[in-house]
Amino acid sequence: MPPSARQTRPGATSRTREGGLVCRSTDDAHCLGLSGHDVAAAAFGLARRFAAGATLWCWSPVWPHHAQHVAVEFVHPVIVGTRALPAEAVEGADVTAALRTLVSPGDVIAAVAPADQPAVAPLLRRAAAWGATTVWMGAGDRPPSGAADHVLWVAAADGAWSGDLVLLYHLLWELTHVCFEHPGLLSEEACTEDVCITCSDQARLGEVVAPGAEGWATVRTAAGAEAVETTLVGPVEPGDLVLVHAGTAIDRVDE
Amino acid sequence: MTDFLYPFIDADERDPGPLLADLARSAAAKADATLALRTATMAATATALVRLADDMAARFSAGGRLLTFGNGGSATDAASVAALFRSAPGGRPLPARSLAADEAVLTALANDVGFDLVFSRQVIAHGRPTDIALGVSTSGDSANVVRALVEASARGLLTVGFAGYEGGAMAAAPLDHCVVVPSASVHRIQETQAALLFELWRLVQGAVGRAA
Repeated sequence: MPPSARQTRPGATSRTREGGLVCRSTDDAHCLGLSGHDVAAAAFGLARRFAAGATLWCWSPVWPHHAQHVAVEFVHPVIVGTRALPAEAVEGADVTAALRTLVSPGDVIAAVAPADQPAVAPLLRRAAAWGATTVWMGAGDRPPSGAADHVLWVAAADGAWSGDLVLLYHLLWELTHVCFEHPGLLSEEACTEDVCITCSDQARLGEVVAPGAEGWATVRTAAGAEAVETTLVGPVEPGDLVLVHAGTAIDRVDE
Repeated sequence: MTDFLYPFIDADERDPGPLLADLARSAAAKADATLALRTATMAATATALVRLADDMAARFSAGGRLLTFGNGGSATDAASVAALFRSAPGGRPLPARSLAADEAVLTALANDVGFDLVFSRQVIAHGRPTDIALGVSTSGDSANVVRALVEASARGLLTVGFAGYEGGAMAAAPLDHCVVVPSASVHRIQETQAALLFELWRLVQGAVGRAA
């Protein structure tokens, strides 16, 4: 790559002769490693969920102060006249158990953690059984795409301390509130997508609430609790994850 | 670049495309703004931060501890600094904690003596002359933060204020060090304060290492 091309690579930085930092950004690739498009999509999704009555649950297994900072932005906005929105930071020895009780279908769970935190991906996967949308924010190495509905990231490994991560969730807050100025775009009509998961014959993630009579269990999915036949997957325990299709658990899902 | 400031209040709006494009542009512009503010403030405070780091290192070397405090997002930023000093990966652990972390103490003081005193009363209880009191306030005017710093000053602690705007009451208080991020945006101030506090931690790590 010729030097001139390298200089204009989106998201690259270069130094001026005086030592100042020049950020050659595009909307999709900022030199801090964040994608404006990703933040925009997450903010829009979050605004739609809030408009439908959602609560935002914030959690960090390593930086509880960041989870609290995200929550306080939404609950007590710094800009006068901006609406207060329900957000809460959760912490404790068993966050999965806490969120299982607290989360309602349509809520949003935001994890703030590095990609190598082993507890995050399993919890965010399980959130689908509770009907929650998920956001994963962090710094440094990224988790695999698909680890959350929205993965928002900054590149610097020390971004959790240097202000980059704070910028990332400030942007999420700021853009979410811009969305509220567009009420026509915020109504979430049922099944507007090409495929309606609830009505189609797609399998849904379910979490076993309690085993029932032989070969049956009460299973929680995004649609609520239902009796599901479990003969195909064998005996189940509370908390087990299964794929539910047409009233039957057709497979187990590993954590 | 300012399209998003003039929304078409239209309940019939159906295509999110233009909004999403505006949001992405706005995110990149805000990230540019915070980077510019960070670069400028780092340059303007470079010498002051080195002096501050040396003073803090001397306190740590004498057995001092870092007590941090702030309100709201600044409380979480103060907790972040305490965590950074105490347990940052790859760093030498230094004793630091946030005075906003204990809900029993915070609510007891707020209920019994008033919110303006929630941090100063803790400085009275915990502070030793070798300690460091570090208060964070975007306005520089938070009464409980300023009162705690004034109390700490009277007790011989090293006093450090991080403020925004033009420094507010913090800039006028008798502090050993006051670092001001010259901006009127609470968010851009907090992001820049985090960058400055991270740089401060790096400098203190170096200074403590030299003193050892």
